[in-house]
Amino acid sequence: MAGNNPKAGFVDRLSDFVVTLICWVYFIFAFLFFFSFFYIAAFLFCKDRERAFQYIDHLFLKGFLWLLRVLAPRHKWEIDSEICTISGSIIVCNHLSYLDPLIFISLWSRQKTIVKTKFFHVPVFGWFIKVSGYLPSTTEGVHAKRMIEQVESMGEFLENGGNLFVFPEGTRNPDGDLGDFYKGVFKIGRMYRCPIHVLHLCNTDKLFTPGTFFFNTRVHNRIRMKIIGCTRSATGKERASAKELEKEVLQIFESHSGYEKKAC
Amino acid sequence: MTRDELQEKIVVILVDEFEFENPGFTDNLRDDHGFDSIDAIELLAKIEEILGFQISRKEKEKAMSIRTINDILDYIETIQAAHKS
Repeated sequence: MAGNNPKAGFVDRLSDFVVTLICWVYFIFAFLFFFSFFYIAAFLFCKDRERAFQYIDHLFLKGFLWLLRVLAPRHKWEIDSEICTISGSIIVCNHLSYLDPLIFISLWSRQKTIVKTKFFHVPVFGWFIKVSGYLPSTTEGVHAKRMIEQVESMGEFLENGGNLFVFPEGTRNPDGDLGDFYKGVFKIGRMYRCPIHVLHLCNTDKLFTPGTFFFNTRVHNRIRMKIIGCTRSATGKERASAKELEKEVLQIFESHSGYEKKAC
Repeated sequence: MTRDELQEKIVVILVDEFEFENPGFTDNLRDDHGFDSIDAIELLAKIEEILGFQISRKEKEKAMSIRTINDILDYIETIQAAHKS
């Protein structure tokens, strides 16, 4: 066991360090020497910058996750193949790790999410999420304009096959028990009467544990993502209330929680 | 449209579409009824239908600071007056 053998423990930690370093190298150098040219071209020449940026984000992170899978083979990935075919939908999921949004972006070429407003102020990253059309979580100051633009254009985005993915708990929650939901996503569902797919994700926190800097490549782990349900009330002729949608999503999560805990 | 007529329409919309229960004119919309910016954007679309004209983006941004039903009515009267002039 690595815990009893200092040499094995050192090798394990070295493995985590090297994998994390390679991933950072990909992030920085693939961006600087490859993807940045596409971002610049998209910014200068594409009529629909938002769509182009989402597509490049998707490819960039697809490459990142491919690399991570190769470098951390003890983590097996099982992502429901049907998930990639979802389009024109709101998607809600539990949130375990900072890896989760990256996985979602890698799944669909047209996707948006709601991002904590403070991230819009981060240099470079903030600019990218603005151009990619992500929604701020609040409307103070300059963000009111962005929120209005994004919410008003959401209907067209969904009609054209885009997906809005949201972690309704608003923050990472690796405990397994669901926290309170933010209501915004259900209000958007009410407004545009689109289906809400409910996904369950497990064990991404074992690969990238909250509060740590390095990937944990040492554990044998199974990362799973599956569709556990879809709301019915939003897609009928009758308008569903945000409360009804929230209740329906909560029921879907709760009806699967026992099974999922065992399966994870 | 008079303020009373507007008031009646807005209250009906808030109850039917935004799940308000017994709204008071000075209630804090966010604290008392969970009314947030996404609701405000949806309400603005309803107000446009009532008024029969589009509200400009700048005027919509001002609506994000609305706190009470009375504020909504004041806001509508202001944009109505601006539109007429």
